[in-house]
Amino acid sequence: MVKKKKSAQETSAIAEPIVVEETISGDDLRARLEEIKSYRGVIGYILRNANTASIDLDDPAKIIDYAVLSSSAFDASRDLSQLFDLGNVENSIFDGRKIKMLSISIGQNRISIFTEKGTDLEKILMNLHTS
Amino acid sequence: MDNEVYSFALKNTLNEIQKVCPDVKNAFVFKEDGEIVAGDENTAEETIVHAIDALDGMLEKGEATGGVENIVFEGNKGRLNVSHINDLYLVTVTSKGADANYVNTVTHVLVSTVLKLLEKINPAPLENNSGRLQAEPEDSITENSEEPAEEFVEEVETLEHEENVEPEAETESRSESIVPEALVNQFIVENIGGLLVSGDTVRIDNDILLQWKELYEDRKIEEAEIETFGGKSTRCKLKPVKDSKYEGKGIIQMPEKIQHALGIRKGELVRVKPVIE
Repeated sequence: MVKKKKSAQETSAIAEPIVVEETISGDDLRARLEEIKSYRGVIGYILRNANTASIDLDDPAKIIDYAVLSSSAFDASRDLSQLFDLGNVENSIFDGRKIKMLSISIGQNRISIFTEKGTDLEKILMNLHTS
Repeated sequence: MDNEVYSFALKNTLNEIQKVCPDVKNAFVFKEDGEIVAGDENTAEETIVHAIDALDGMLEKGEATGGVENIVFEGNKGRLNVSHINDLYLVTVTSKGADANYVNTVTHVLVSTVLKLLEKINPAPLENNSGRLQAEPEDSITENSEEPAEEFVEEVETLEHEENVEPEAETESRSESIVPEALVNQFIVENIGGLLVSGDTVRIDNDILLQWKELYEDRKIEEAEIETFGGKSTRCKLKPVKDSKYEGKGIIQMPEKIQHALGIRKGELVRVKPVIE
């Protein structure tokens, strides 16, 4: 497969996609993610913005894999949106054989939430979209 | 399986999907190693290459986390879906208002069915001649049609003995219908060139010619009816392939003149039926 050159200025693209309520403050967002983390089937999350990153995963050995997967999802969202005129990519859902990942941008924050396969993401989305 | 067969069948499938679901704006299929298998007629190859490149990192890391089944990018203007079917990735781009369930059902059902069909009709990819593929079920049809025919002849003979009337004409006309229906085989078109090439002759695998001769024992088979999937057909002289590299691969070597007349090109599929004299 054609190898993709990862951009060093990954952070510059952080703000590009996304909608959702920008009114959620950083603290509020963290609190919501903590709550989501307690939902059944949720394995953890990665929250990143221009200045900070916080990761909370059940299995620390997977941190790098999950972090790269999350980052790839946001890169792919941006590129595919340009290629196919998808507009602002509100979210992306990776449905793997073992895990699911919901990636969503809220303001300057890029969030990826990891769950066990088969977990319903509706409740998570509801929580994040409620202002 | 041969890439050309896959590509041809899948390209047509993707185009048909767009007819059934006009909300599907783009659709293409690529292999796990990133090789493009087929794309619909609206999507430029360059776009597909960029899209595969964009998905590369995610798919690669996805495999590392256990494997990818499906990925959805939900935009405010459209939606892109990546599905892992067998060892291929199917990508569809739909407009915002599209019924995702309907589109997914149609695309999955059609693509999966075509893939299964391709596997079934061409299990030993063109090494073992795809031309023979369709022969099998039709052979069984032929066998079935022969059995009652024999019974019928016996019946007529009995009648002749008993009544000694004039069913001869009837017998003759019925026994004519015993001739097995012409087999239809599919072949992939290959160019044929050279100074001594006759413009009205196609070449196919000698094994197929022998099969036909065996099946239609007392009949001459010197010509074949060639039909494209677009419905055009023509009649050509038949000869066995000379070049051993085309043997057993389901290839029909065809002069460009005939290809042009049929509106087809190298790599496309045609149906070939012997003309039984």
